Amino acid sequence: MRSVPRNRTVRIAVLGSSVQRAAPFGFPSSRSSAIKRRIVVGLLVLLSLVLITVSFRSSALNGVQGDGATALRPFEVAANRVARPFRDTVGWFHGLIRAKNEDTKLRAEIAVYQQQQIHDEGAVQQNVQLQEALNYHGPPSVADFRKVYAAVLANPQNAIQETVTIHAGSGDGVQVGDVVVEPTGSPDGTGALIGTVDYVTHSVSRVMLLTDDDSAVTATDLTNSSVIGSVRPGGGNGNSLILDRVPLKPAVQDGDTIITAGSLGDGPLKSMYPRGIPIGTVTSHSNSDADLFQNILVQPLVDLSSIQSVIVLTPSKSLGR
Amino acid sequence: MNALKAAFVLFVACLLQLSVLTEYHAFRTASIVLVVLLSIALLRGSMFGAIAGFTVGLVLDTGTLGTLGVTSLLLTVAGFWIGRYGETTARDRFHAPFLSVAVVTCLYVFGQLILQFVLGQPAPADSAVHSLPGALLLNLLLTLPVYALARRLFPPLELGDRVREVRLLG
Repeated sequence: MRSVPRNRTVRIAVLGSSVQRAAPFGFPSSRSSAIKRRIVVGLLVLLSLVLITVSFRSSALNGVQGDGATALRPFEVAANRVARPFRDTVGWFHGLIRAKNEDTKLRAEIAVYQQQQIHDEGAVQQNVQLQEALNYHGPPSVADFRKVYAAVLANPQNAIQETVTIHAGSGDGVQVGDVVVEPTGSPDGTGALIGTVDYVTHSVSRVMLLTDDDSAVTATDLTNSSVIGSVRPGGGNGNSLILDRVPLKPAVQDGDTIITAGSLGDGPLKSMYPRGIPIGTVTSHSNSDADLFQNILVQPLVDLSSIQSVIVLTPSKSLGR
Repeated sequence: MNALKAAFVLFVACLLQLSVLTEYHAFRTASIVLVVLLSIALLRGSMFGAIAGFTVGLVLDTGTLGTLGVTSLLLTVAGFWIGRYGETTARDRFHAPFLSVAVVTCLYVFGQLILQFVLGQPAPADSAVHSLPGALLLNLLLTLPVYALARRLFPPLELGDRVREVRLLG
């Protein structure tokens, strides 16, 4: 028998040694292990397909999923709290840089808005008086809705997904179709529209954002109520919207604020959009004689990919709930 | 012990993904769960990767109230495939984790797109394609620290432990 060096290499071990290897563990490589491996993976893939089918075709797993989401909630809240100091630090620096840049611009805007406010207050008073005199009943407003405040548990996870998970569910009175706004989105406190509830469990709900392909909201121009169209996702850049179906005639200006027109939805997912919730501002518009409608791009007032908290507007009893 | 450690690490990655990373617009396309899963699969093999992928996918689908099974299916296949790569050609190669993350990030995005399309859900291909370079870059940046941490937690098995049989020649 040949002598084998103590620090032998694999090559020597394979080609020149008769020493038996120790009992193996770790990566399996025998035929039986390969079969076992394939069976396990096959079962997991099959189980995934079964889960997809059941989850997609029926609501049998909704309860389990809701319980799972509820069980995850404390951990998500804890992770949020741990990350908050870092987030606040980043936000502070970001805010500081932004504040310096915007200071001069905002001072000029304040002067303009002060003049406009005086004019608007007179118009509002006149409006109230005329409505009372005519006994006018308009579309539902934000005041007709009960507000449910909720924290966002999970923001969109990738560029395809356009939903957020929030910490409020049917136990809080939230139902499918309820309107969801972001509280800091507009300066007057009405919030900026971000979407509607499309899935509800007892304590957690999912919100379909305005940028979801299935989303559409009847909207109008704040300064020109004859402009009525439908706000839809803009495609391309995930955070842009278009105001669709606006005829060529009414004039739209860049910088105009787009608000909800106020509508009562139809069908099984009856939803109510109160009038006057800000959606975004017009960033560009164009029209040509070849088109039937104007091309209006709208920038949402809030960054829909990063939302901290929301308000769910649940219709009060007087509105049919 | 390995399974417990992997479960803990993947759960923390899930929480980071669900609650922290996606709050920053710049990091929205990154997937720390995918990077952690691939690192563990590379170091612990195909079966470990597949089971870990299935479980973590289920947690993500539950946390986001998405269609159950979609992420599980994608991550099961990803974990198995990269685990197999780790068992065979990727041994001790520096570029293995980076190559794995780059390839799987692309396949994961398109796989998700295809599944959404098949299920009749919105599948904006343009958004997916636009987000791909960012996702690729961020995931590759995450790979270095994540794989280093994974190597400490799951030390690579010695070559002698991997080889079951030695054929003696001569």
